[in-house]
Amino acid sequence: MRREPLRALALFAALAAVVFVLPAFVNDFRAQQFAYVGIYLVALTGLNILTGYAGQISLGHGAFMAIGGYTASILMIDHGVRDIATIPLAIIVTGIAGVLFGLPAARLSGLYLALATFAIAVAAPATIKRFEGFTGGGTGVNLFGIPELTASDAPLQLFGFELDFNNWIYYLSWTIAIAGYVLAWLILRGRTGRAFRAVRDSEIAAVSSGISLTRTKVLAFGISAAYAGAAGALFAVATAFVNPDTFPVTLSIFLLVGIVVSGIGSLQGLVAGAVFIVFMPLWAQTVSKSPGAPFVVYGGVLIVLVLVLPGGVAGLIASARRLTRRRQDFPKP
Amino acid sequence: MAAFFQQVVSGLASGSIYGALALSIVLIHRATGVINFAQGEMATFSTYIAWTLVTHHGFSYWPAFVVALVVSFLGGVGIHEAVIRPVERGPRIRVVIVTIGLLLVLNGLVTWIWSGEVRAVQSPFPARTIDVGGVAISWQDIGTIAVCLLSVLVLGAFFRCTKTGLAMRAAATNPAEARLVGVRVSRMLAVGWGLAAALGAVAGMLTAPSVFLSPNMMLTVLIYAFAAAVLGGIDSPVGAVVGGLLLGVGLNLLGTYVDFVGSDLGLPAALLVILVVLLVRPAGLFGKPRVRKV
Amino acid sequence: MALIAALAFSVTAAVAGTVRSGTEPGVAVDSIVLGGTAPLTGAASRYAAVARGAWAYFQYANNRGGVYGRKIHYRYVDDGDNPAITVTATRQLIQQDKVFAIFNSPGTATNLAVRGELNGGKVPQLFVASGATTWGRDYGQYPYTSGFQPTYQAEGWVYGKYLARTASGSRVAVLFENDDYGKDLLGGLKRGLERSRVKVIAAEAYEVTSTDVASQIAKLRASGADTLVLFATPTFAIQAYQAANRIGWKPKHVVTNAAAAASASMQAASFGGRNRLVNGTISIQFLRDPTDLRSRKDPATGLYRRIMKQYAPGANADDPLYVYGMAAAWTAVEALKKAGKDLTRASLVAALDTFTAMGNPFLLPGIVVKTAGKDHDPIEQMLLRRWQNGSWKAFGGLWAYPAS
Repeated sequence: MRREPLRALALFAALAAVVFVLPAFVNDFRAQQFAYVGIYLVALTGLNILTGYAGQISLGHGAFMAIGGYTASILMIDHGVRDIATIPLAIIVTGIAGVLFGLPAARLSGLYLALATFAIAVAAPATIKRFEGFTGGGTGVNLFGIPELTASDAPLQLFGFELDFNNWIYYLSWTIAIAGYVLAWLILRGRTGRAFRAVRDSEIAAVSSGISLTRTKVLAFGISAAYAGAAGALFAVATAFVNPDTFPVTLSIFLLVGIVVSGIGSLQGLVAGAVFIVFMPLWAQTVSKSPGAPFVVYGGVLIVLVLVLPGGVAGLIASARRLTRRRQDFPKP
Repeated sequence: MAAFFQQVVSGLASGSIYGALALSIVLIHRATGVINFAQGEMATFSTYIAWTLVTHHGFSYWPAFVVALVVSFLGGVGIHEAVIRPVERGPRIRVVIVTIGLLLVLNGLVTWIWSGEVRAVQSPFPARTIDVGGVAISWQDIGTIAVCLLSVLVLGAFFRCTKTGLAMRAAATNPAEARLVGVRVSRMLAVGWGLAAALGAVAGMLTAPSVFLSPNMMLTVLIYAFAAAVLGGIDSPVGAVVGGLLLGVGLNLLGTYVDFVGSDLGLPAALLVILVVLLVRPAGLFGKPRVRKV
Repeated sequence: MALIAALAFSVTAAVAGTVRSGTEPGVAVDSIVLGGTAPLTGAASRYAAVARGAWAYFQYANNRGGVYGRKIHYRYVDDGDNPAITVTATRQLIQQDKVFAIFNSPGTATNLAVRGELNGGKVPQLFVASGATTWGRDYGQYPYTSGFQPTYQAEGWVYGKYLARTASGSRVAVLFENDDYGKDLLGGLKRGLERSRVKVIAAEAYEVTSTDVASQIAKLRASGADTLVLFATPTFAIQAYQAANRIGWKPKHVVTNAAAAASASMQAASFGGRNRLVNGTISIQFLRDPTDLRSRKDPATGLYRRIMKQYAPGANADDPLYVYGMAAAWTAVEALKKAGKDLTRASLVAALDTFTAMGNPFLLPGIVVKTAGKDHDPIEQMLLRRWQNGSWKAFGGLWAYPAS
């Protein structure tokens, strides 16, 4: 039994090493695409804590990403804060927003929660647009061309190394993604994680074992939103532009799609979900460029995936592991 | 004062559109326990079928209407058999994702087949308006509300008085026990999808003459329809229609008389309604509160 | 003769020497790669027609020799009208596909999102398919960006001038989309009405997320206006006709822009002639209208139909958005020719600094694409037209927006 976590740790370290050296082997643009994979990984890790572990569905995580993205953008443009320094603030602001939303939302369950969270995803763009003086309205906020705050225009000097924009974004997002991933693992294996799972599996049983439903759910909302805030801030820095249309309802939906593809309630498949979010739309339009056709491909693949991979990619990994273990076990009965 | 009542009337008109789609959302929820995000796109698809029959195949309105209804019913059953049934027993979230996939597929298909152009759709009601003390009311709007209310009555009778209706309710609320008393649950759920699709087709055909037919006709209507369904109680057909009408009128009056809301905060206002209703009275105005057993 | 040849050679060599011919991204001996984004999915997917029309024209031009023997490869990718995707898609086109320039991407916010980055990287953002004023106005700051169509402000101004001249004393109500597009049009209209006896007495905004505009139309009617101006996208403009008709409002003039572009939209609005309000609607045009009966025998219209038939089979050639794409593609070919055999991004931008292209077969006869000095709005001429008995009829001469 002791060997399991060790092996997991070794695997994890190997993966981290791959992530670290990857930009050297791919072209510049790919590095940037993988940076977006990292960004979505942050958001998916957070969403999976809420939906996968605490059992609270959210169709509104795009709105939390919007809060993080706008926090970062406004701090940079109006207050001259460096891109990297906006991220902790974005995490705090969005985490508080998550708690505030979680307080009423904790009373809702299942379907009603899905609708309520969907509502905030839909309302977010219009609300952002309305408060033009603060958010820049429909025109949005442009983060390009401020070399003193971000690397979008000129390379960045870091520990004597010169990082161009793509690499800067790549290492920034993956550092946060890996840190967030480890943190999520720590949270979930401890008491908090047990409380989350208890609430998910049976609210009645959770209450009878002394867990406060409201506190647990609100905590899950807060943590999950904080992750979305970090992802939103990274998204704004990477895209160097935010406006209400950059955080559409479809973003929230695609995030949920991402965790279903990865496997709900498991951290292992999350990278696959993030890859799906970044690369699937690109692939869908290589099939046909007729207007509308990419959606047909995307939606079709999504349905097929849900049908053939009930446990998502994590489920696939698990069954593959069972298969290999059985084979190993076979010689020594 | 005429201006006020004109806003009320135009609110009722929009509200009847929300109510019409909300009805099919309620129906599918009641019959199968699923929230169908593709409901709006299914309605749009059906409306395009009717439009094609009228425009390109020389059908007159009512035959096209009936054919569209039948095709939609079969389409609904087909969708259930092909993609919903396999995920029905698992976690709810998988059904939600499948309906989202359906939304994308249908929206893309409509754009692909019929292009993004805006089309005019014939209305079964006279194009005239009647004037009541300076307030103009169109037959189209009266007709839409009438059809909505008629659908409520028919649905109510169906669920209460017919064997199939009772069996469907049983299949949705308690599949295991329904199966014990000899209800063919899976078939009932399929019929539920078919009926909801047909009712959605009616909603689409009522909506199109007012907002005109385009691939994204129902995309925002769907959101208002959700709000309407929640407001009225997600299991109550009467609630769906009344919720739609209240929402339509409320948003118009807010937009007209409260400067802060204006036109730009209409959608957030609708969603605030959802949130507040969900918190204060989750069962909605007309729903029966469920007792949670502890 | 030999002397002339030697002279020509040395001049070319000198030019080539300064720009290191052959190393420019997206330019090879036999090809030029252009890239662009377009909404192939989502609510704005109608505008994919612009990209497809442009693509068809480039194919046609390639089969007639291309530009100095170089064939134009035009690659457009989906952005779903989401600026964040425009950014990543544009980066992909530049960094991975190594396109020479970004060409004719539709949308205002989408183009704003990439303008800084394109200019920073000195990549031409050629003929942006949007009528925002910023493209021409901020040429000094963003020289690599060029607009194309008449600005929304110019268009609004023409309507204002027209009403000021012909409808003195009338009271105008405006329905506008609540974004830069609607606001620019409204601003232009007000400017055109300055110092006239025509007043805008009511203006109501709608959101793109609205389901209908009946409430706004009822409010506008209550203002007592006798002229209705629709600065809306097709769906909402068509709905506005319907809503006004239903409440029995019959304003004297109706003015629209976007709904008017396709006569199919106007047909839809008139409900097979049942909505009388549509008759007499005023609009502008700068593209050739493929559905215009009077120019049916026109060689230019014939050319357009032939290209559509050959390179975009199955597409609805009556949709003027394809004409738009071809007009932009035609102009791009002219600009690439002017930029010279030793094509570079800098030489293209220099060519566009002072640029005149006449005889664009996809624009109305007489319209000149022209930039010079501080004026960087390529198309500033347009024609007014009136909807009568099921089709558009142009009237009067070309209007030119004064360079400001």
